[in-house]
Amino acid sequence: MTSPVAPSRIALTDLAFGVGGHEILRGMTLSVDVTRLGIIGRNGSGKSTLVRVLAGLVAPNGGQVRINGHDLARDRRAALAEVGILFQNPDHQIIFPTVIEELAFGLTQQGNTRAQARDGALAVLQRFGVSHWAETAIATLSQGQKHLVCLMAVVAMKPRLLLLDEPFAGLDLPTKAQLARYLALYEGALVHVTHDADDLAGYPDCLWIDEGRIRAHGPTPEVLLAYRAAMQRIGEADDLAHLAG
Amino acid sequence: MISLTSPVRTVAHGWPAGVKLGLLCAATVGLYALSDPRAMAAVVAVVVGLYALPGRVFLRTGLGRLWVLWPFVVILTLWHAVTGALVEGATVILRMIAAVALANLVTMTTSLSDMMGVMRALMRPLRLPLRVTRAVEIAVAMVIRMTPVLLEKGLLLAQSWRARSMRRANWNIVLPFVLVALDDAERVAEALKARGGIATDEANRHGT
Amino acid sequence: MERDVTLIAFFAALIAALGLIPAIPLGFGVPITAQNLGVMLCGTVLGARRGALSVLLFLGLVALGLPLLSGGRGGLGVFTGPTAGFLVGWVVSAIVAGLIVRHWRGVSLTVSAAVGALVGAVVVSYAFGIVWLAHMLDRTLVEATGMMLVFIPGDVIKAVIAGFLTASIYKARPHMVLSRR
Repeated sequence: MTSPVAPSRIALTDLAFGVGGHEILRGMTLSVDVTRLGIIGRNGSGKSTLVRVLAGLVAPNGGQVRINGHDLARDRRAALAEVGILFQNPDHQIIFPTVIEELAFGLTQQGNTRAQARDGALAVLQRFGVSHWAETAIATLSQGQKHLVCLMAVVAMKPRLLLLDEPFAGLDLPTKAQLARYLALYEGALVHVTHDADDLAGYPDCLWIDEGRIRAHGPTPEVLLAYRAAMQRIGEADDLAHLAG
Repeated sequence: MISLTSPVRTVAHGWPAGVKLGLLCAATVGLYALSDPRAMAAVVAVVVGLYALPGRVFLRTGLGRLWVLWPFVVILTLWHAVTGALVEGATVILRMIAAVALANLVTMTTSLSDMMGVMRALMRPLRLPLRVTRAVEIAVAMVIRMTPVLLEKGLLLAQSWRARSMRRANWNIVLPFVLVALDDAERVAEALKARGGIATDEANRHGT
Repeated sequence: MERDVTLIAFFAALIAALGLIPAIPLGFGVPITAQNLGVMLCGTVLGARRGALSVLLFLGLVALGLPLLSGGRGGLGVFTGPTAGFLVGWVVSAIVAGLIVRHWRGVSLTVSAAVGALVGAVVVSYAFGIVWLAHMLDRTLVEATGMMLVFIPGDVIKAVIAGFLTASIYKARPHMVLSRR
């Protein structure tokens, strides 16, 4: 790692979360200082829900979540400074028709005036080498370019912890590689959620989520070894036909 | 999304949008005060003259946008021919054409951002809470952003219907289409909340 | 608040998208646009207040100069033209449809939503449309009504479809049919 990354503290105490009587996360307890953390798990394991709980978008039904000591579901002002979240589908994240508006939005949300927000947005565009994108309509961008817009919009807000929810799903390899390079340079802490073990190269620690629980937590190579073995076993069996309760 | 503003630059593009809208209101009211068919014909001639000023492309686009009125022109002409009141009918037809043409002229010479400026100015005296004006602005931006997204999803649904059906897609695709929109809305609301939402600290923001 | 604003914006975009996808054949060869079906759903799904705001937002964007009306029409001209009354009527029709779905609980949602859409989109919207049409073209109300008769059967069918759609949406996403709250 070239620049020193300020770690963020994630503390979960007996965390539980469910919707309409259906339990999605249960009994999660964890206390870590994160610089680069991978979260791996199958589709439906609860990892996306965990990201939403970490970001404070939904409040847990039981237990506690603290990010750098803050309860982000309650304290939304702190949430803006503490965490940013990059969603899987750019069409669910980008709400403005042009690139500059999208980037400036988060900055006005943080209390900047419109002029300051615009300058900040332009600075980020310049840092990513795409100053000429400012007035471009989102609708004319490719999928990979939209992903980059989402990334820039979140980076512009300089959150201490950046949560990535399957940020590379559906992208081709070159686009993936380019985005990964931008991400590696981020000064804040990263939590990267994925079902693809290959995405976690360069992440020292990894958390394996399975059926709403923490299945393993440790150095990435060890966790991934166990994860891959388990996935292989399940793949040879036939659980695709099972329906959830 | 492409607005109906003409890419052909005219002098009127530079005029304040508020002034153009004020003139349009006055002119439209004035049209109803006129009842003399010759005067009305003169008005239409002037309007067509205005369309012709910026050149042929502008004129053709402008006249093309009046084409939607043809069923009314046909019905009114037939009607008045039967009742024998053609002169009176001409006044009504010309007034309709002038009213629509003048309004389109304002749209064609005013950019979307200028129109939004007028909207903001009109909202100001209402003294709405900041989060309401903010909500309106975000909603406007979101419609412009999401209409092409939804349109594309709608066309995809129609395609996947056709891929497995002998017949063209019918209203059956409207249900999945609405469900897609509802689910997307939920995700977008979440993303909006993740970046501070709408009702954040009001005192902090003093943008104009 | 975020969810309300987003839903209102998405339904406005939905009205636009329904007007821009190629006209949908109704079964007996008559292709009609689904645009006012979107307006009906605003009332029957989002309820009176949010539904009306959604239609208003859509019309506001049309007025600002976006070509969102079926056939790519838009701009101020549609508000000074002969069919402007129908557009204004749409806003009121969403309110009426929303109120009917909310308060008429004795029947199935399909029925109350279909009746709501029918009263809103056919009775209310036509009332506004015809009054303006008669005024603009200097005709009597009866004559103006006669000019619009051909469109009524299509709109009645659409109202029935809106009823079935609302019930299906309720079955699939009960928490999002806000008119029933």
